[in-house]
Amino acid sequence: MVAVDEVRERLEKYVGQPMGPGAVAPDPVNVPMIRHWVDALDDRNPVYLDAEVAAKTRFGGIVAPPAMLQAWSMPRPKIEGIARRGGAPSELRSDNVVAALDREGYTGTLATNSELEFTRYLRPGDQLESASELESISPRKTTALGQGYFVTWVTTYRTTAGELVGRQRFRIFKFDPRTIDPARLGAKR
Amino acid sequence: MIAVGDALPPFELEVTATVIVAGAIASRDFMPAHHDPVFARAQGAPDMFMNILTTNGYVARFVTDWAGPEAMLRSIAIRLGAPAIPGKPLRFSGQVAAVREAGDECVLEVAVRAANELGDHATGTVVLTLPRRA
Repeated sequence: MVAVDEVRERLEKYVGQPMGPGAVAPDPVNVPMIRHWVDALDDRNPVYLDAEVAAKTRFGGIVAPPAMLQAWSMPRPKIEGIARRGGAPSELRSDNVVAALDREGYTGTLATNSELEFTRYLRPGDQLESASELESISPRKTTALGQGYFVTWVTTYRTTAGELVGRQRFRIFKFDPRTIDPARLGAKR
Repeated sequence: MIAVGDALPPFELEVTATVIVAGAIASRDFMPAHHDPVFARAQGAPDMFMNILTTNGYVARFVTDWAGPEAMLRSIAIRLGAPAIPGKPLRFSGQVAAVREAGDECVLEVAVRAANELGDHATGTVVLTLPRRA
């Protein structure tokens, strides 16, 4: 007889659904934020800040570092109380699979995979919007972190004019910290 | 000529609290685990740790430092492992895994790894293109 995973069954309704409301980036792609990033990561690729050099490359001008894709659409944070909210930047909580797993006791979160795709490089002035959709939930798995589910969603980034500019597929393991197996954790190190 | 098997020049990043915080704030990620060691430890992490946006940023930089300003990244796919925490340098290594021509571009797949003494922090593949005239 196959055991029925009732938690997994309750989660099925979220598959293919939005992870929350879509969002317009607080600011268009802009040079001050690019400079901040370039300095933070000490990335001296001239196409990000040197207009003269960038103009002679195939980009024809300044472009944003591709890995900033997600940074443009990060929500404006509410700093007060952020630790009490477990690090959630805003007080808005959507009814999505992550919140549902928290309610079921699978409160632990470990990011496992990130896949960024860039359709084109962004230029100053591009105004982005993003929307995330739940792609899949695994059957319940047992790992060194205990029991949980791999949850995968895809965020699509477009300009507000509707042009696709990139995607990110992101996978996390949502686990029940009470089921952590110290012996297996220790064996990893 | 770039060929399969070519190694990228290795890069060692001295990971400090400043490096982690600078990346987190530049990516507008205010999660306390990326700037507050007390919060991070209470969550079960060994220390404050680098956010994923910053990891992706350093992987991109590692590849474009080698490939040059004409490089256009098409994708960065990584598997995440050991956290990047202060005091544990991250060693980046990479190797050309595939080369093909597509129209006026050369498409390269680069296998990358960033590891510290805890293990592999990020392993994966970066796909990029270069103009064939370059």
